This record gives sequence, structure tokens and C-alpha cells, in this order.
Amino acid sequence: MKNRLRDALNSSRADYTEIRLERSTTSAVTFRGPRLEGATVSTDEGGFVRCLNRGYGWGMASFTSLDDLPAMVARAHELSLAVRLDAPIRLADVPVREADVTLPLGGDVRGIPLDAKKRHLESLNALMLGRDRRVVDTQAAYRDEVVEYWYANSEGTMLFELRPEVTLSAVAVARDQGTIERALESLGRRSGWDAVQHREDQFLAAADRAVALLGAPRVRGGTYPVVLDPKLAGVFVHEAFGHLSEADFVYENPQAREMMTLGRRFGGPHLTIGDDGSAAALRGTLPFDDEGTPTRNTVLIQNGVLVGRLHSRETAAKMQEAPTGNARALSFRHPPIVRMTNTYIASGTGTRDDLFRDIKLGIYACDAQGGQTYLEDFSFTAGHGFMIRDGQLAELVKDVVIAGNLFQTMDRIDRVAGDFQWNEMGGGCGKGGQAPLPVTEGAPHVRLSEALVGGSVA
Amino acid sequence: MIGRLLEQASRRAESADAAVKNDETVTLVFESGRLKSTAWSQERGVNVRIRANGRLGFAGTTANDPEALFEAALASAAIGDQVDLILPAPSPLQAVRTHSPAAAAASVADLAALGQSLVERLSHDGWQVSATVERSVGTVRVANTRGVEASYDVTAVSLSAEITRVTGDDILMVGDFCAAADLPGEPGVAALAESIRRRVAWAERPAAPPRGELPVLFTPAGTGALFLPLRQACLGKAVLQGISPLGGRIGERAFDPTLTVTDDPWVPGASGSRAVDDEGVPTRRLPLVEGGLVGGFVYDLETAARAGVPATGHARRTTFGKPQAAYSNLVVSPGECSWEDLLSKVADGLVVDDLIGVGQGNVIGGAFSHPVALAYRVVGGEIVGRVKDAAVAGNAYELLGRIAGLGRNVEWRGSLAAPPILLEGVSVTPR
Repeated sequence: MKNRLRDALNSSRADYTEIRLERSTTSAVTFRGPRLEGATVSTDEGGFVRCLNRGYGWGMASFTSLDDLPAMVARAHELSLAVRLDAPIRLADVPVREADVTLPLGGDVRGIPLDAKKRHLESLNALMLGRDRRVVDTQAAYRDEVVEYWYANSEGTMLFELRPEVTLSAVAVARDQGTIERALESLGRRSGWDAVQHREDQFLAAADRAVALLGAPRVRGGTYPVVLDPKLAGVFVHEAFGHLSEADFVYENPQAREMMTLGRRFGGPHLTIGDDGSAAALRGTLPFDDEGTPTRNTVLIQNGVLVGRLHSRETAAKMQEAPTGNARALSFRHPPIVRMTNTYIASGTGTRDDLFRDIKLGIYACDAQGGQTYLEDFSFTAGHGFMIRDGQLAELVKDVVIAGNLFQTMDRIDRVAGDFQWNEMGGGCGKGGQAPLPVTEGAPHVRLSEALVGGSVA
Repeated sequence: MIGRLLEQASRRAESADAAVKNDETVTLVFESGRLKSTAWSQERGVNVRIRANGRLGFAGTTANDPEALFEAALASAAIGDQVDLILPAPSPLQAVRTHSPAAAAASVADLAALGQSLVERLSHDGWQVSATVERSVGTVRVANTRGVEASYDVTAVSLSAEITRVTGDDILMVGDFCAAADLPGEPGVAALAESIRRRVAWAERPAAPPRGELPVLFTPAGTGALFLPLRQACLGKAVLQGISPLGGRIGERAFDPTLTVTDDPWVPGASGSRAVDDEGVPTRRLPLVEGGLVGGFVYDLETAARAGVPATGHARRTTFGKPQAAYSNLVVSPGECSWEDLLSKVADGLVVDDLIGVGQGNVIGGAFSHPVALAYRVVGGEIVGRVKDAAVAGNAYELLGRIAGLGRNVEWRGSLAAPPILLEGVSVTPR
């Protein structure tokens, strides 16, 4: 395959050419209620070529037939020449690398029969179904993947990687007359069969929570002090801040550049935020990004001061900053764009209970069901929450949706606890039509002095 | 390939069906008002289902290897579920237009000109304009071992644009899109640009959010959150699982008598249109809500077999996974009010154009609570400015049970057609 790549690169008449090839094998098993929805093994293969010529734009081609590779290089070159640019696109320098990397497979899923995967999921699903008669529906899903990945560019970089991934998810739906509630638990790791063992507690927790939510009141809408659990704090940092630190948002927009000037204060000295594509075995972890740039830990906010942002080679050159290894593509069907990897709020001091202590009436928001950002405005949905009354954990509440403005909210982070954890959830991030891209978030418990919590009007 | 697959299947399995989709797509991306990249992509995928020893198996691939694909389907069937699945026999199909020769013939330069025209119409000091033009040309083939052999050509053209305006720490983003089998043409481009400019004008001044249970006028673009619960509740699978609040209520009143929502796969050239679904079942118009009464649910073959009802021609197949029921084009019937009539009914309230976080949480239950992405304060029937720091909440079923006004102009966005809808008693909370 490497020879085919070299031949194709040598045939290119473009100033810069890069090629990605992928061949993946995926097993997927799904249960809906007591029934098997399906269990199957799929294969997917294809490639992506990107060409750039001085004074011209990007030309790209993606394809599912690898035999077409030389023709696709020619086509990408032609498409580049179709776009005239006044301001040339430049790429920041990255060292030329040749490497073969096999990420730890964590129990190679390719050696496990499909039937064993089905039986494993069936037993986990049965735990949810047998937990309570009010659990009327479940969705249980197992998915694994091993991708053989080749990257080569005309500067001489040539990479081969074996990229594993495994996800497990549990949805329990409970019904009591007209009331229907659901709870979700998931796991995602850049690993294999070992990672999905001993997950019984998560499936039981999904069933228990769906049932418990049946009897919980809706949270009363209003402004409260809010303590975010590590899962929700992770989604918060991803949604509210992470997307704004992606340099493709600011690099060609003078006003946005000004808003995100390095050195600007974001929150207090207890707040440190970063993105680490080189952390061990998380979903966003990779040795190189999809431009062949090594991944690394990039600090974005250091003690309340904006110190970095996430780059592709193009945005880094434009802003005269160093590339960070954040150009990622969902698959060979897509171009690399600036994305997060494993995004975190660094650990502070104290415990969850320390954060509760001086709250008279507040909300403890737990478990992320999702989040969306609209630049400076964001929303995230907690799986469930609890009231905090007189510094103590009180009753369960549901439909906790937290909305806010980034700049206000960062300033309102008044405590960061010392109990950091990575949240190894499934799901993923969406941007520019590329979803779900595997990412991970991590955080300790975090307190907001006040936040708008959606719900019924008081 | 499909012939060889089915021939193998007829020897080694009881029945089989397959869908093969090919397409070529050109995507032009404009950033900061100029064409930045041009991408071409080619995709071919096969999805097959077989029934062997009464058990169903599935497999999909992009590789050109029918033997390996068939073996994967057999392996899946070996541990698959037992289902009495009966594949459809050939039957006459409605003529539905899914292809435009002009769209198929458009060159990269033609598509670039379309994007350039859109970008120029949005050119304005302080606005950063991005736009995407995408055109795909493809074929869909569906066949089964009972003799179904359907094939049709498809074109899809989509045009989208977004402007970003940053003033200090205030960010305004306004975007819109259109998608259909045909090229939009200059009038279509002009309408898209105008739709974005109109909203930027409404957002020109900031306005304080109101508070309380208020009238809220949802623009066609803003109705997404309102109809998402209905979309989930009318899936045959949700009904079968007993989690649909509309399950078992066909013919019952569940909504305001002015509300009619139809799944219409026969709209000429609309992006969800087709004569036959991906399992070879002829498509048909299906009322989901008719005059406020629950009308029907959408089924793929397997869900229909399990529920003991006929399939409705709504199966969608991707290369990977199994067929699932999905809507074609969702059409909300218009009412009689002009936009001005609707606005004049709002003494104090909001116009909602876009919400943040739609689709999170317990959607099928109908309860929603979202901060506004784009919303405008209305006082005395007039839009006075953009409201940023507010959330709207309510229950979609309850709110659609008493519609205060339905617009007479339906707007198409991809496969959704809806008029503006005025609802009363929507909870609005400022931040």
C-alpha cells in the first residue's frame, strides 16, 4: 500500500498533495427491548486526496474504489486549479515523519466471534429489562472498529496506524401511565474487548435512573447556583469554550480574532482548560492528526488567561502560531477541519461537598445528555439533577437544561474541585457535517455562582 | 453486483433483498466571501438482507466483493432474530420526479457561479459570509428475490449560506438553506439571500426578553422543535415498543383541528421524494395528523411484520446497518393568516427562528426547554429587536393542541414544508 501511495504522490503535478486511505472492519450489535435488532460485520474502504497549488484553492477528491487513486490525484489537482485565490493558502511547517503506530488494541476485537459479542450485550440488556416492570423499552448497542489507516504527503511524511475503537451504550425507557422517562449510559474508548467487560453496573444504573425519574418533579425554571458533575462540566467545557478556541472560527475574522486575543482573561485564577490529543487510550487520542501533525497537550486557558487555541496547518500559518495537531477528519469521506480531541478542565481543590456547603438553594446537575453551542450562547441538557438545600444534596429533579452566555458563565465559575476524571462516554462531536467524531471530555466538579436553568415558569 | 448477490441468495437462503446506491457529489465551499475549496466525491455502497432458516441477517460494504458480502450476511443471519418477513412483489409505481437533467449537467463553473451570486448578494461591511454549494448525481437500485427490480436516478442540489457578525462580545450568526432535485436558479438564490438579510435586519437592535406565559410566533425555520416529538411519536417502532404518546390513538383528537401534517413522497423534485422505498415497497401519501386527529404511523417491513400491520413505504437504507422507517417530506398544511395577521395578534411576545439544543433530552414526551439562538421581541404587533438571553419551554403536544394562528405561506427547507405557527402560553424565561 505504501508503494501505491508513493507512486500516486510521484504522479501528482500539484505543489502539495496529501492522501489518506482507510480500510475498516466494524462489528455492530443492537438490541431493542428483548429483541435482537441486528448483529453484523461490515467493511468500509476508501480514500481522500487533497491538492494545493500556489495562488489557488484546495482541490479534493474522495472515493470508495482504491483502484481509482491515480485518477483521483489528477482530479484533485484540476479542482485546485479551478479556484483562484488572491491571498495564498500557506501551511505551517511540521516535521516530516515516517512511522508505523499500532495503538494498544486492548483485547483485539477482530479475534472475538460476533456471537460472543451478541451474547455479551444480550446479558447486559437483560439486566435492564429485568430490573423493574416499569422498564418498558431498552436500546442496547455494542460497536467496535479497527481502522487500518495510511497517511502520506508530498513533503515525505508517511504514516501507518491501526486505530481501534469500542463503544457500548444503554438506554432504558420507563413508563408509568402517561409518563415516559429515559436514561442513558455509555462508554467509548480507543481500545478493544477488554474495555467492555464488567459494565453491569452501568446498565443497571440506566434502568434505575429511568424508573426514579418517573416520580421526580420537573425542575422549576429560574436562576440558581449550579454544581456540575464531572460529566456535565466536561460537556460544558467542550460546548461553551472548546468550539470558540477552534482557530477556523477566528482566523479570517478580525472581530473574532480581537474577541479571542491571547492574554484575554477568561474566568478566575482557579480555571485552567486544555485539549490533549496525546492522553492515553481516550476516544480523542491519536498519535498524529489527519494532516500528519503530532498530537499534544495544548493549554487554552492558564489560570484564567487565554494562552492558546486549536489549529490546523492552515490556520496556524495564517495566525503565525504553532500547529497543534487538531486537524481531524471523520473518515476518508471528509476533509480535515479544526476539531477538539480530549478537552478538559484541570483539577482544582476540595471535594463536591465543599462546593455544596454554602449553597442555600441550588441545583446539582448530573450526566450529560447533550449540548449545543451557538458561539457565545450554549445549552446543555443534564440526564438528571438534584436540588441542593442548605448545603445538602436533596431531592431528584428532571428536565434540567442549562443555558448561558460563554463570557458571563466563565466568570461565574467560582469553584473547581480536586476530583478530576475523564468521562469515557460514547457519542461524539458534530461540526461542518462531520459527526459523530470521537472526542472525550474531562473535568472535576465545577460550581457556577449562577446559571439559567430551563423549566416551567415559577 | 446486485444480480449476483440475489442469485447466490436464491440458492442458499429463503429470500433476500438489496439496495445499491451510487453517487457523485461536488461540494464548493466559500469562506469569508470567496471560493476556498472544491471537492469531488464518489461513493458506492451495497446493503443486503437475507432470511435463512427463518432468521434475518444484514450486511453492507463499500468494497466490490459480493461473495464476502454474502458470507457476512449469512454470518449475521446465523445469530439473527426469527421474523416472518415477507418481501413485496413487484407492483406499479407512481411517477415521481427525483432527477433534474439540468442539475446533473451543471459544470463546476456553473455551481461556482451560483455560489458566487449568493455570496455577492450577502456582501456587507462587517459580515463574514460563508456558503456551500453541493450537487450530487446518483442512482438507487432496489431488488429482491420475489422479482422487484426498481431503479431510479436522483439529483440533489443544496445551497446554504451563513453570515457571522461579531461586535465586541456579541456574535450574530444567521443562516439558511435550500435543497431540492433542481438547481435553485437566480430567483431561488435571491430568496435565500433575502431570507437571511430580513433576519439580520430584525436582529439589528437588541431587545430585552419578556417573561411569562406568552404568545410565540414560530417561523417556518423555527418549527423544528415543535414537530420533533411528533416525528418520533409517529415512528411505527416507537408505537410497537409502547413508548409513543400517540400509539393506539388513530382517529382520536390529539391536536388543534387546524393542524394537518402529511408525509408526502410524491412532491415533484423535493429532496425526500421517491416512488419506491429502499425495501421495494411503493410509496404513498400518509397523513400523520389530519384535522387534529391522529392519522397514521410509518413502518418499514420488519417493524410492520412485528406489529402485524402493512408496511407504508418508508424504509431508508444506508450502506451499513439495517432498513429503518424514516419520513420522506413532512408537509404541514397552511392556514389562512398572513404573516402580518399573525404578528398583529402578538401584543407582547416573541418570534422564534432558531433554538439551541433541539433534540436533546426526552423528546418523545413532548416537553422542551431551549435557549433561543435567534428570536425577536414583539410589542404591539411589531418586531422591536433581537432577544438573546432567554429560554422558551413548554410541551409540544399541549401547545399544538391550541393553535392560535396558522400562516398561509408554506416555506420549504429540504424535506420539511411548514407555515409560520402562532402558539399561546409558551413559557419564556429571561436569563
